[in-house]
Amino acid sequence: MKNAKYKAYVKRTPYMFLAPYICLTCIFFLYPLISAVILSFQQTNGPKSRAFVGLSNYAFVLTDPDFRKAVSNTVIYAIFSIFLQLPLSLGLAMLLNTAKDKTKGFFRLIIFSPNLVGQIFVGVIFSVLFVPRYGLFNRFMQDLLRWGLENRWLGNPSLVLPAIIITALWMYVGFNMIYFLAGLQSVDKSLIEAARIDGANAWQVFWNVTLPAIKPVATFVVVMSTIGSFQLFELPFALLKGEFGPSSSGLFIVSYLYSMAFRAGDLGTGAAVGWILTLMIMAISLAQIKISGTMKEGQ
Amino acid sequence: MNRLHIFLLCLAGIFVVLYAMLPKRPHIAFTYLRYVILILIASVVLAPFVWLVCSAFKDPTVLMKYSFLPPPSEWSKELNLKNFIELFKSQPSMEGKVYFWQYIINSLFLAGTTTVVQMFFSSLGGYSLAKYEFRGKKFIMLFMLASMMIPGVVLLAPVYKLIVNIGLMDTYWALVVPGACSVFGMFLFRQAMVGVPNDLIEAGRIDGCSEFSIYLNLIMPLVRPMTGAFCLVVFLGSWNNFLGPQVYINAQSKLTLPVVLNQYVGVYANQYGVFLAGTLLAIIPPAILFFCLQKEFISGLSSGAVKG
Amino acid sequence: MEFPYGKAPFWILVLAIITGTAMMLTRKFTSAPRPDLVFIVFAPRHYEAYQKLIPEFERTHNVKVQLQQIHQRPLQTRLQSALLANTEVPDMVEIMNPFMGAFMKGPLKDVGFVDLTDRIKAENLDKRMVESRFSIWSSRGRIFALPHDVHPAALAYRRDIIEELGIDISKLETWDDFVKVAHEKIVKDLDGDGVPDRYALDMPIEGTSFFPLLLLQRGGRYFDAQGNLTMDSEVTVEMMIWYIHQTRGKDRISFPAGEGQPFYKALSDGLILFNFVPDWRSKVFEQDAPNLKGKMALMPLPVWEKGGKRTSTWGGTGLAITEQCKNKELAWELAKYLYLNKQDFSDRFAMLNIIPPLKEAWNLPAFQVPNEYYSGQKVGQLYAELAPETPPDYVGAYYEMVDGKTREVLIDGGIYYEKYGDKGLREYVKEKLRLKAEHVRRVMNRNVFLRQQEVEDSNITRGAVR
Repeated sequence: MKNAKYKAYVKRTPYMFLAPYICLTCIFFLYPLISAVILSFQQTNGPKSRAFVGLSNYAFVLTDPDFRKAVSNTVIYAIFSIFLQLPLSLGLAMLLNTAKDKTKGFFRLIIFSPNLVGQIFVGVIFSVLFVPRYGLFNRFMQDLLRWGLENRWLGNPSLVLPAIIITALWMYVGFNMIYFLAGLQSVDKSLIEAARIDGANAWQVFWNVTLPAIKPVATFVVVMSTIGSFQLFELPFALLKGEFGPSSSGLFIVSYLYSMAFRAGDLGTGAAVGWILTLMIMAISLAQIKISGTMKEGQ
Repeated sequence: MNRLHIFLLCLAGIFVVLYAMLPKRPHIAFTYLRYVILILIASVVLAPFVWLVCSAFKDPTVLMKYSFLPPPSEWSKELNLKNFIELFKSQPSMEGKVYFWQYIINSLFLAGTTTVVQMFFSSLGGYSLAKYEFRGKKFIMLFMLASMMIPGVVLLAPVYKLIVNIGLMDTYWALVVPGACSVFGMFLFRQAMVGVPNDLIEAGRIDGCSEFSIYLNLIMPLVRPMTGAFCLVVFLGSWNNFLGPQVYINAQSKLTLPVVLNQYVGVYANQYGVFLAGTLLAIIPPAILFFCLQKEFISGLSSGAVKG
Repeated sequence: MEFPYGKAPFWILVLAIITGTAMMLTRKFTSAPRPDLVFIVFAPRHYEAYQKLIPEFERTHNVKVQLQQIHQRPLQTRLQSALLANTEVPDMVEIMNPFMGAFMKGPLKDVGFVDLTDRIKAENLDKRMVESRFSIWSSRGRIFALPHDVHPAALAYRRDIIEELGIDISKLETWDDFVKVAHEKIVKDLDGDGVPDRYALDMPIEGTSFFPLLLLQRGGRYFDAQGNLTMDSEVTVEMMIWYIHQTRGKDRISFPAGEGQPFYKALSDGLILFNFVPDWRSKVFEQDAPNLKGKMALMPLPVWEKGGKRTSTWGGTGLAITEQCKNKELAWELAKYLYLNKQDFSDRFAMLNIIPPLKEAWNLPAFQVPNEYYSGQKVGQLYAELAPETPPDYVGAYYEMVDGKTREVLIDGGIYYEKYGDKGLREYVKEKLRLKAEHVRRVMNRNVFLRQQEVEDSNITRGAVR
């Protein structure tokens, strides 16, 4: 009798332990998810008034020149973070990989450190670094290249995006480097030795041995940083002092969502943008995973 | 030709000399080059931090005069705490006077509470997924995986509406409760707890421990490294969280550092030193935590990546 | 005894407990009972002025009023989100023009401010004050704030240099005269380095503040009285071409002097001779460039065509009462007390050079006092004469967007002009403006709440719009 009771108790336990998760998910995930669908068919004035508008939110967003600008800015940013930031991270990781343990730890710590600082704080700091004539970055460029002292990085529409990319580079190179370092440690050293003995040069070793070995990590990093890039918001928001740059040059998809939902008070259009963004992220991540999968078969 | 160019040329010159003098052992030259590059990159990474510290202590009148510090002969005149004094002065708000230290306390409290709460609920959920077999477990795990695919911003508008409707607007509940149980955390803890031998749990049961006390007293102490790493992740995330407080908190006296500093960029538009001093203070607590926990953190991060 | 879950969770737990206690304690000690009225202003100078006036009001009405000054930007953000989410807001608040529009995107019932139309009409204030000023504070024919000021704009110029150059101010009747004189006598390279060292006007190439100012003077505007978008009208195109000519290329007569220190340096150095100066800014000059005392003077704006307006407007403040306010009658009393106070008009003018919108107050002796800074001119009288001509500025829910988009065209047009000159400029600007306007119109027409209201309005009353 007692035994049966105890068994029932043990059987019940996992549900009890999971109850907080289940409750919270229902209230703050499932319900909002469903209401996000409904909301995206409505127009609202903040949380107060709403009216059903059918597909008009989607139709508007997809034809809105500002949204196009936001998408193109986001895509350019994502491209740079994959094709500029990640190779640099990998290069750094390879430079560090052969170093002694202590120095490795030291440099890893330093290069990773910008990640401790939130995007908002980074934005605040860099908004002063980019000041024309007096900003540290402008002075550094002047010293190094004799160019750029008077650049209005955050005021000139064609320089805003580069400024954001540079800031993000500073911030995230170290973060991705950590993943690549972990990946490189799992590369089989004897394989590299074998390739060397066979007369392969450094580039061939990298291309044929190292790269395939870190491919799972690389795929992971590419997918994660794409997803991250598509959700960029706080960094440009703080850099541009709560605005979206001259001629929307610092407008990204999430900034657009934010300004629609919380500046203009139209939560419905905000929800619609959210769904469009979700579909974009899913499509791109799936494509990336597929591409890396076909590369595997090809080898 | 300026000092920076000459310096860079010298560094390159040494490499050429090393390479030419020791033709049989090129790896010495390359090791030298490797370290030079690493040190240069490290300095570029550190430069904004050094600049930030200098700016916070520079007199407001000379902030833009020097890139970093003024020459030592001017230190007594041009280095002082004026920025901090201005920063800690009271600011009027709708709730009366607000002081900067209040924002620091708010941020610490929120980050601390969020961490403790998330740690508890996530590890509890993770434990039940790791060590129990029950109906619906597969479904829940699948559901959790699927829910991780949905980017958080989709929920921004509907959750905001919900928070307003249930009257949690302008309270810290709105920031702590919705994320109290993190899916990511549950997976992490599950991964760490799966390896714990079942015998230990059985032994606990025979000793008459309740299931909850087995979790709390037997299992949790065994996954300390994971706890430490997760602590840091949550603390950093909450400390740096901007969108949440920006959307859910209205009262000035309840705001957190990221929101306030973003606001100060406009308020102190002509006194960069003040908000830079504030930013300096704002990045110290996570830095302290990180230096205490960096080993656990980096191994936790990397292990997640390699397995994932 | 060691904490079984590691050091980090332990310290974080301790931290949470300590800070939590500290927070509770500060809440307990700082929380005071809510006074009868909480009134928030953003202008430090208004704060000082009201601080002197409010004790008298408190005494006569036997109430407690809490006055506070908050920075404009946080105030605006806070109000917008708090009014929508129904969290705590003050009872009364001063709003800065043109940000009233931001509250007007939903149905009228969502505005969050008390509709003051009937109260204003009951006191006949809609006739006693400069009519055009209510345009800034209205939506769909209803008025939501009491205007604090008129802010007619004049030109402040370096009298000393202008006289030295032998320029007769009275001959600068139209902007054509002005530009001609600027080319002939003002814009000059004085040190022979090929770059002019003296310009006529301070105007930013982005057109911030000054483009709408000039547009209003010329009779153009972003919205008409019915709230229709008119940003792409012919006069905007004309205005834009004029503005581009004066700010870009070799023949420009203006220099973007910026703000703060660089601006006053340019003014003191004689780099720029004329500035757009509404009443409030004339005081700012006195305070921030005291070295120019006696060297400055004011004049009405040159007109666009004979008989046209000699003034425009820039800025403004209005007082609104929130719907949440428990004691709306008391709040309205305080509003009248502060905004219709004859004694305060004189003090306000002495302190801020701001003339009131109340017409009957303009003959107060305070406005006849000669001003040393402006070479002995009667500044109050000068502005009061211009005040009735101040153009209305209809600020709709989408004002900020329209201003932004219009000035984007101004920037693009300027770049075009620097590349290709006048050839095709008009068509280019016109087409760009048309596209931007089409975009804004789409956004505006999408707003079902504004449309619904129109239907309701036309059913109930007509022509309530001023």
